Amino acid sequence: MLKQDVAQAVIAEALKTGGDFAEIFLEDRQNNNISMLSGRVESVNSRRLHGAGVRVFSGFQGVYVYTNDTSMNGLLDCAKRAASAIEGKAFYAPKDLVWTDVPNIHFIQESPDAVKSARKVAKMKEAQAVLNNEQEIVQGSISYMDSVQRVWIANSEGLFTTDTRVYTRMSVAAIASNGTENQTGSTSPGGMQGFEIFNARIDPEAMAKEAARQARTMLHAPMCPAGIMPVVIDNGFGGVIFHEACGHSLEATAVAVGNSEMCGKLGQKVAADCVTAIDDGTIPNEWGSLNIDDEGTPTTRLVLIENGILKNYMIDKLNARRMNMPITGSGRRQGYMFAPTSRMRNTYIAAGNDDNDEIIASMGDGLYAKKMGGGSVEPTTGKFNFAVGEGYLVKDGKIAHPVRGASLIGRGSEILLKIDRVGKDMQMAQGMCGSISGSIPTNVGQPMIRVSEMTVGGR
Amino acid sequence: MTVDQFIQALLDEAQKEGILAAEVYLSSSDSFRAMCVKGQISNYTVHATRGLSLRGLYNGKMGYAATEAFDEEAVGQLVQAVKESAELTEDEDVQEIYQGDGEYPHVYNYNPALDQVAEQKKLQLIQDIEKKALALDERVTALNYNMISTSSGETRIVNRVVGADGKAHGLDLCYRDNMAVCYISATAKEGERVSTGSAFRVSRNFDEIDADQIAREAVEEALFMLRAAPVPSGAYRAIIDAKCMPDLLGVFAGVFSAESAQKGLSLLAGKEGEIIASEAVTLMDDPLLPGGLASQPFDAEGVATRTKAVIEKGKLTTLLHNLKTAKKAGVKTTGNAAKSGYAGAVNVSPSNFYLSPGEKSKEELLSQMGDGLVITEVSGLHAGANPISGDFSLIAQGYTVKDGKKDQPVEQITVAGNFYQLLKNVRAVGSDLTFPGSAIGSPSVDVGEISVAGK
Repeated sequence: MLKQDVAQAVIAEALKTGGDFAEIFLEDRQNNNISMLSGRVESVNSRRLHGAGVRVFSGFQGVYVYTNDTSMNGLLDCAKRAASAIEGKAFYAPKDLVWTDVPNIHFIQESPDAVKSARKVAKMKEAQAVLNNEQEIVQGSISYMDSVQRVWIANSEGLFTTDTRVYTRMSVAAIASNGTENQTGSTSPGGMQGFEIFNARIDPEAMAKEAARQARTMLHAPMCPAGIMPVVIDNGFGGVIFHEACGHSLEATAVAVGNSEMCGKLGQKVAADCVTAIDDGTIPNEWGSLNIDDEGTPTTRLVLIENGILKNYMIDKLNARRMNMPITGSGRRQGYMFAPTSRMRNTYIAAGNDDNDEIIASMGDGLYAKKMGGGSVEPTTGKFNFAVGEGYLVKDGKIAHPVRGASLIGRGSEILLKIDRVGKDMQMAQGMCGSISGSIPTNVGQPMIRVSEMTVGGR
Repeated sequence: MTVDQFIQALLDEAQKEGILAAEVYLSSSDSFRAMCVKGQISNYTVHATRGLSLRGLYNGKMGYAATEAFDEEAVGQLVQAVKESAELTEDEDVQEIYQGDGEYPHVYNYNPALDQVAEQKKLQLIQDIEKKALALDERVTALNYNMISTSSGETRIVNRVVGADGKAHGLDLCYRDNMAVCYISATAKEGERVSTGSAFRVSRNFDEIDADQIAREAVEEALFMLRAAPVPSGAYRAIIDAKCMPDLLGVFAGVFSAESAQKGLSLLAGKEGEIIASEAVTLMDDPLLPGGLASQPFDAEGVATRTKAVIEKGKLTTLLHNLKTAKKAGVKTTGNAAKSGYAGAVNVSPSNFYLSPGEKSKEELLSQMGDGLVITEVSGLHAGANPISGDFSLIAQGYTVKDGKKDQPVEQITVAGNFYQLLKNVRAVGSDLTFPGSAIGSPSVDVGEISVAGK
């Protein structure tokens, strides 16, 4: 843990060369990971992460130094190395630290670090037992993870606080084979929850059935034809399209330095009228939720786009200075090894008014992407690429047959304007989002949506 | 507690708790990183970190645990966690803690001079790069990425195996390595059109990173790509550029691992000795490559490393092995045990992994192709490539080739194919072997025909 007198001394040291803001972030984290292949436990790995980082600002410049040595001397040394990057005379006197209690909105019943690994393995075996009886499934790959992260944050504005984040997640991948070809299907639910997540949200048997169904469906699917066509993207992980094609472009990380196609577009129309998008860290027990962000700011619910109009960017402390705009509780990092920056939390397109059956019936010929794979985007140009995990060719408004190997490519700004249907049933799905402040849990989400035309890659 | 005291305390406690073969893997590093955007230094990050993992054989099974806190409390916690891990692990494969090789190769992977480069000099480099890039052409609006990083680290393996006679034997191996990495990406604008171009340098000699050259390379690509447009969908003759081929090879590198093969995750299982690629293809795994990013004298199990061809003139000669997979297959380990970070379990991974260069220059490859495409960049690899089936469908850019010469820039296309098929289709491998920022390298490769989705 971080002691108040240590934190105060470290902050004072960090400001000695002219910095105008200093912060210390200390983390102690226990991660547990179990992996199982075809019913056999392959590895049980526990890892204790322990370290701290000191950050100093001088105007728009940010300096970050981190270490595993969290003794008073180790932390003071960190502060000195950070201060040495700034060339000036001390002028900013840090405020006295005042303890702030963080209200916890994510109730945890059974902390996973207190649960024996054997119980975790038993849950994985429930899923494997189902896979064993699924036709054409030759292999199952199941993983389990939990993490209890305790953080202490103090800064020169007088903030001194702590928070605990608890995560539990399981993933089931099924491999279907016909002897010469393999296809995979997978599902990976999780939450900011303890082991009680298995009481309701994670059903290992249902996960196994779903993964097997996807893999089998894709095994029998021909390659997707390439071309430009209308595309319907289903709810849940389909929201990765918004996350990649638009979400990253709304992070101050890209906007503050002019590397986003969304720069200077606040108040302007950036999406079709039917699109409202939200980034919400306040939803209890959701994978991307928080109590406070990694700069100690209480988390928020932020409307990004309302009826097609751009309303907000996601902004962290350093970029708030560069943009001359307020912070939004969006400062996040994987851990002490990273300086925080603006990141997404639970980001989704809000429910609309359209009927799912009508959305497909009126699309003519095109692609129905039922399950999306991962994707990536280049924020400067908004160019993106998504794999379609489970896709179907639609002919004359009717689902014809499954197709594999499809990918969706385009530019975020163009696609947002081409969304012409938004369904009613918004669902979220869990992912790990990678960016310059590391890999963090985020939710993507949306109802079924339709894009009037999109480039589909295939063969 | 000093690090040495902590290691001895761990091995003592493990022995006391019945773990008769135990090993500590310690990784420590010191690194520096900064970016320069609009004249401002940003993302200035320095760290001094260390992490340790303990693994050990308990009742014949290997257990793992790791920590970054090196205190007395951690000693007992770690040993108990290793026991719990070993008790639950159902891996039937025989595992061992290695007793060592008599001799270890000498490898050039550390340049002491690099550790002495002042931070001010590193900052000056990226400031210079930005100035030079912006001055090259008025259409260059910014460097959207402009980063220098240096790192210097040490890897150490200490183990103890108690024999049937009650005597303990052990290894204590160590190597240092360091490197500097510079990566930039330039943005160009003309009217409504925006494009980017990038350049990368990896070196152990800081003065080799030339601000002029790297700025010019990124800017030239950005400007060239301003006019880029998709080509019509169809099948094209194609060359995959040396800048890009390593990315593709990297995604599918896992299929050459015996671990993947034994788990049924590689279609190369049991294919040793068979022809799996065209005669033009020779694929090397070379941990002794001087200055290579993955050069190292011993692998993650303490086995001395060696150079070998994985594919020789189209024939699969060997998969990559660690001790466990080698024992299972009844062969000798290839010294390819690896860990993803200090805390990871021992797996299998290539070292410096590259397609051997051929005779022809890239210009000759283009001229031999006549009309077609050169692919210079693919993205979306983690989503658009399936390492199990070999299928890939990737967003790509590059340029068209007309009458054997570079012609028009191309972007917003998808190239699709199958990695295994692509290996067989290779018509020629160029002489321009490049390692564009990782330990995986390749020359430009003429891959025959490739399927393209465009306009």
